[in-house]
Amino acid sequence: MSWVRWIAVILVCGWLGQYPLAMLVPHLIMERLYNKVGDRTGYNQMYVNTRPDETFRNVVRPSPDLLYALCVYNLEQGAVVINAPVPERYWSMQFYQMNTDNFAGISNQREQHTRVGTQVEVTLVGPDANPAEYSGEVIQSPTARGVMLLRASAIGDESQARTALEGSSCQQQLKFVSS
Amino acid sequence: MTSKGNTFFNRLRVLRWPLAVLLVAALSVFLLQGALKTGLRESFLRNGDWRTSESIGAADADAVVRAIVAIGGLLGSTREESMYYTLNSVAGEPLRLNCRYRIEGSDYDANWWSITAYGWDFYLIPNQEKRYSYNNENLIRGEDGRWVIRVGVSEQEGNWLPVGPSGTLAETNSMAHDFDLLLRLYTPGNAYLQHPESAPLPTVIKEACS
Repeated sequence: MSWVRWIAVILVCGWLGQYPLAMLVPHLIMERLYNKVGDRTGYNQMYVNTRPDETFRNVVRPSPDLLYALCVYNLEQGAVVINAPVPERYWSMQFYQMNTDNFAGISNQREQHTRVGTQVEVTLVGPDANPAEYSGEVIQSPTARGVMLLRASAIGDESQARTALEGSSCQQQLKFVSS
Repeated sequence: MTSKGNTFFNRLRVLRWPLAVLLVAALSVFLLQGALKTGLRESFLRNGDWRTSESIGAADADAVVRAIVAIGGLLGSTREESMYYTLNSVAGEPLRLNCRYRIEGSDYDANWWSITAYGWDFYLIPNQEKRYSYNNENLIRGEDGRWVIRVGVSEQEGNWLPVGPSGTLAETNSMAHDFDLLLRLYTPGNAYLQHPESAPLPTVIKEACS
């Protein structure tokens, strides 16, 4: 092959290569966050963060007007059950898979306003599980690992948000529950 | 051709495959960096000096947008849940610590909203006041409900949003701006969901630079 052809092939492959590389970036960043936060907070357990300030690094661009709690989950050993009381002010429970997609979410906004004052209990199952085998509210994660993030408004008096997050839990399901 | 020249080309011929792979990898990284910077500028919807993406957290986001979001807004919510507008320049001039800015606005159709200043490293900016944002409830307003936030390093009267050097070492800053502003609209109204490029937003004005 002549040098001109070599250079042309390198330029074309280099141009094409940026796309698989771009697809790799979210996985690498999420993997880093998963391991960094998971090692600090533990896996399959709820971790309530302090109110964000300049030292806060568990979420990129944290909001100082929110309180965050997160559960870095691994469903390889079975489902995880998340329990959370829903406060009156803004609250949401968002699920992220390892490519950063926000694949599911629950909140107390819009048509879900009726959740205010209730206790949410979600069974989070892995990609190979059959959701029909579980009772109650079931969410299927497209990847066995991922992150669940609770947000609660800390505007004004933050005590209600803090009580709600501290009363939330995330734990491995011990017993198989058939429907 | 001299024997030295022949030796060089023979060595190059032997190494051409590993060299080609290295060059392809380096070129891909270089082009992706350019695409990310261009994407930050162009692939987002513009509304005045503010920019937003309809694809944050969404499965339909393309590879470059997803990479940009992973770098600067990991774990963002989908837009039905919350909309994020960022601003890192005013009339094409990057936000600088040696300048003072004024944000003017009123109220916006959302369950709640806030304006937060971030360092170029995407984290909250260290400041003595421990004030990082204003929200729809803690602003000092005029009688007509309108408000002004003053952004700058030095203390100012009224709603002062302090900025300063980011917590991460300045030597590693690859951004053109020193800090940026993020407007969050939680549970945004239809105007933001359907017409994010023209829905009402606060105005940011550069007042003076030293």
